[in-house]
Amino acid sequence: MHNPPMFSGRGLFLVAVAAAAIGCGGTTDERPPRWSFISPAITEPSCATVNCHSAIAQRGGVDLHNRDAGYDSLKTRAFVNPAEPDSSPVIFLMHAQGSIRMPPDQPLPEVDIQLIRTWIANGANND
Amino acid sequence: MRRLLFCLLVAGVATFGFARGAAAYPQFQFSSGTNKCSQCHFAPAGGGLISSWGRSEAGDTISMAGDGAFLHGAVSLPSWFAAGADLRLAATRTADGGDQSPQSAWFPMQADLYARFALGDQFSVYLEGGARGEARPVDGSVTGHLFSDLGNRFISREHYLMWRPSATGPYARIGRFYAPYGLRFVEHIFFIRRYAGSELYNETYTASGGYVSDEWELHLSAFTPPPTSFPDALSSLGARESGGAGYFEYRFNGMSALAAQARVGIGKEESRYQGGAVGKLWIEKAKLLFLGEADYIIQNFSAASYTQNQFVSYLGFTYFPVRGVMIGPAYERFQENLAVSGTGRNAYDLEINIFPYAHFEVVLFGRYMQVGTQGQPAATLMMAQLHYYL
Repeated sequence: MHNPPMFSGRGLFLVAVAAAAIGCGGTTDERPPRWSFISPAITEPSCATVNCHSAIAQRGGVDLHNRDAGYDSLKTRAFVNPAEPDSSPVIFLMHAQGSIRMPPDQPLPEVDIQLIRTWIANGANND
Repeated sequence: MRRLLFCLLVAGVATFGFARGAAAYPQFQFSSGTNKCSQCHFAPAGGGLISSWGRSEAGDTISMAGDGAFLHGAVSLPSWFAAGADLRLAATRTADGGDQSPQSAWFPMQADLYARFALGDQFSVYLEGGARGEARPVDGSVTGHLFSDLGNRFISREHYLMWRPSATGPYARIGRFYAPYGLRFVEHIFFIRRYAGSELYNETYTASGGYVSDEWELHLSAFTPPPTSFPDALSSLGARESGGAGYFEYRFNGMSALAAQARVGIGKEESRYQGGAVGKLWIEKAKLLFLGEADYIIQNFSAASYTQNQFVSYLGFTYFPVRGVMIGPAYERFQENLAVSGTGRNAYDLEINIFPYAHFEVVLFGRYMQVGTQGQPAATLMMAQLHYYL
């Protein structure tokens, strides 16, 4: 059924394979600790998945599907505590301290958690 | 006819379960003797309901035994009509080092019903419907039920009108489906699906056209999310982006392929500009199929005045030791922000698919994922699935 093993694009394929293995990061975090970045960059893709905190599922009554809905959920449900950011329930959840981890299937990188902590410490504004 | 109606009724009842992504198995390209996805699927870029050729391959090549035809060949459908269904049941065990880890669960994962109506020789209508899956029990304080109401979870992820005068050549389709882009595995948790625009239930309303030949295929698409006024069953449940995508694949001697792809998605909160490559290589002698994809993504957040660059990739091979079994280890990489150390994710997967009899599949899947820097706990997922397709 198959032709003889001859592959004229093997070199290009190997380049693609090599490209699949790369990916590294710099040393400083200059990302803005603002909700206008954190929501679309971190919480929406990681937490607002269809079975969890999407607009249609709203697990635990938490809707993180866009900037305004996510902000309202975190503030009105008191998941953030600017006075004591380390005691914010959302930080405990992301560290799986006393609860299941959020998000449960794919933990967030610690630098993302720290960025959220900085946002909380700065007042947890919808900025 | 009465028997046919009964069968469709059974399939329809079964569909009040749990929908998942439109099933696509890029592992079967080349390895099953077919050199393009549309050889087995009605969709020109693959995925979804399989054609009579695909059903024949399912019985004769892919499964250990059995008849891949609709209802195991018990019923012959008229030539203008095709139907099918997918049913999946899953059990999982996850561990992430947290206070309440590990956790186990079982859940109905998918129940999709498909129908395709040929309108003459050149046009067709494709309809899909099911109910959204529910991987975890709902918080009792929200609904009071283990699983939320089935009626609220109905969704039609794909429905489109297509002009396709022949199996090869030009085509056009318009409706709801993913713009062709990348390796669209069944497993929606793969980074290249989750972070490159085809996360679960993110199908957009799309106008797509292209050309499919034995040697190459081209797909050009423009897409937009459903209006927010649409009912939930027709809503976009994930990222809301409008834009376009292009995918060009060239095949070499029926055993390998290289593809270039690009996608632009413009959203209210963020926009993505991405491009990448896909490679496929079948080594007949070793019964190995290599699949790889790498994408570079530029993501802009206008309200935050910030732009970040991302990298997402998949590299794996599938080994076919005997007919009806495939074993596939893979490595995945997602770099959330190339300028920030500690934002990377590595996943090591092993998937074993067993097709003991046509229409039946057993899937065993294991995943070990490292996140961020050293010291963060790794996350593991073990999953078993039972899959039946009508």
